[in-house]
Amino acid sequence: MNFWLIRVLSILGAIAGCAGLQVVAGGQSDYIQRLLILAGLYVTLSVSLNLINGITGQFSIGHAAFYQVGAYMAGFCSVHYFKSSHLPPLVWLVVTMVVAAIAAAGAGFVVGLPSLRLRGDYLAIVTLGFGEIIRIQVQNTPALGGSYGMNIEPKVQSIALVWLLAVLCVAVCRNLLKTASGLPFLAVREDEVASSAMGVNVTRAKVTAFVLGSAFAGSAGALLASYEGFITPATFGMDVSFIILTMVVLGGTGSITGSIFAAVFLTLLPEYLRGLKDASGGPLTLTGGTVVAWMIGVIFAVAVLRHVYEDAKRSRLNRLCFGIGGVVVGLIVQAIASVMMNKIGALHDKIIMIGQLRMAIFAVTLIVLMLLRPQGVFAHHEFSWDWVGRLIGRRRRATV
Amino acid sequence: MSLLRLDSATIKFGGLVAVNSVSFELDKGDLFGLIGPNGAGKTTCFNLITGVYKPTSGVITFRGKSIGGTPSSKIAAHGIARTFQNIRLFRALSVLENVVVGGYLRHRTGLFSALAYLPSSINETNRLRAEAMELLKVVNLAHVADVRSADLSYGMQRRLEIARAMATQPELLLLDEPAAGMNPLEKEELLVMVKKIRDEHGMTVLLIEHDMRFVMNLCERIVVLDHGEEIAQGPPSAIRNDPKVIAAYLGEAV
Repeated sequence: MNFWLIRVLSILGAIAGCAGLQVVAGGQSDYIQRLLILAGLYVTLSVSLNLINGITGQFSIGHAAFYQVGAYMAGFCSVHYFKSSHLPPLVWLVVTMVVAAIAAAGAGFVVGLPSLRLRGDYLAIVTLGFGEIIRIQVQNTPALGGSYGMNIEPKVQSIALVWLLAVLCVAVCRNLLKTASGLPFLAVREDEVASSAMGVNVTRAKVTAFVLGSAFAGSAGALLASYEGFITPATFGMDVSFIILTMVVLGGTGSITGSIFAAVFLTLLPEYLRGLKDASGGPLTLTGGTVVAWMIGVIFAVAVLRHVYEDAKRSRLNRLCFGIGGVVVGLIVQAIASVMMNKIGALHDKIIMIGQLRMAIFAVTLIVLMLLRPQGVFAHHEFSWDWVGRLIGRRRRATV
Repeated sequence: MSLLRLDSATIKFGGLVAVNSVSFELDKGDLFGLIGPNGAGKTTCFNLITGVYKPTSGVITFRGKSIGGTPSSKIAAHGIARTFQNIRLFRALSVLENVVVGGYLRHRTGLFSALAYLPSSINETNRLRAEAMELLKVVNLAHVADVRSADLSYGMQRRLEIARAMATQPELLLLDEPAAGMNPLEKEELLVMVKKIRDEHGMTVLLIEHDMRFVMNLCERIVVLDHGEEIAQGPPSAIRNDPKVIAAYLGEAV
């Protein structure tokens, strides 16, 4: 019964952890709480898209559609049935999460069907189109508030539920990959013809991935709806789909930990940049010359850093040299360029707040990462603590 | 009753008749060769048997049941497994995982127990992995079980494809040019291995091969195709001296 003891303890641990997070965050500002909620929602969204995109290899770029289906389904139910249900708001939220998951899973099933005949780019176009159809349909449905949006009662903010959903989504994907049941999905990604020759039901694998992935996105939508208390079709535009896709690709397609990392990183990065202060406490500013100098510096640094991963046969020392070298070259070039550029009057007088540049920096970060590591930060791998063990193990051997 | 029967199987791609009215029969325990010059329709024949293509006309029966046009995955469940001429491994998966995919047909626990990581699913996974490990020992790949399959040498990849096909526990194993790209030593080992697969694992083998010595040494009966048509059939000794076969391979005497 050891297995069940560990299982129950880990589930209780997850619940306690999420509840603890809510308690700790309760003392923080609304802004911090909002970031925590958004980060949790994006973890769910990117990990669930990773199931479709990374693990099963079905290139879907309409994930916001499932998010939207879930949000509107939950919103619609709340508006019409909450009062007559006499349930406490938190319980009601859980109910709408389940309903939203089912609705989004239905939508996922519908989108999954064309994936049986379409591959790669073609499927991407279909999913993109599906996302737009949903958004525009909602925009033109008065019962759902049209483009004015929809007010939702009750408004519940639950960081614990947001993160529990994220944990559940991660656990489900991880379990799938840990057991043989995950192999058909991976096999379909690798080679459909060979999969079906080995008896794998390709249809079932693809549709299952779409249904599961979209169900989680739908639940996340229900959470968003009750947190915001107000949703409009504009909340679920194409840009949301692309941000989720970016998270999956940046983390490394197929890697669950990569998706988690990228979701948190990309949610927090723009906000961190927005909040940067200079020494006197005002918003951090740069002159135009310095900004241009940074651009040149980054280009030089990337030119050198590219060599770190270019050749797998390089020794570790060699890579380290290129790594440090790249940063040093970038900084030196930046320093020289900033002196030169600030001599130009127009550039020197132009004052830019770094907060204004946050989306540009966001974009540059993505471009640089894709240049240096196109397979994503974690590539196909999962993050593990093995290296710590190796480090300790080695040290032990060295001391003996 | 014969295990596999092709009765004037034909497939046309537009105006091209890739396989024209080919008929042959395999009995249980046969070591059967399918040979012919390039473009003769051998692989197309395999694709017909394994459901990649649907025959334009003609009947294919396996264990007395018609299988022409049945989806590939169903045919694998009926008991026909194959390897591919241009190796089609699941490249990002490990050697062991590749074989487990083959064994997945016999996986009996549902998706839910996997998602919840229940003991039934874990046990099933362990059982499949252990079975796969046994098969890897048969093809001498047990020592590289955890290596990414794309990183294997060419000969090893071919052997892994055979192990993966065997993992479906088929009655009929189709090998598409198993010896291509192997050196003489590897070919010798492969010969022994294929015989072992037939004798010890009780699988019937149908194989395509270009290496004549390999085919003649291994197969007990051979069908020769040329331009989609069957030109000869019989034991190796008869095929070797058949004037039509010699003409197909070497060209006709002027």
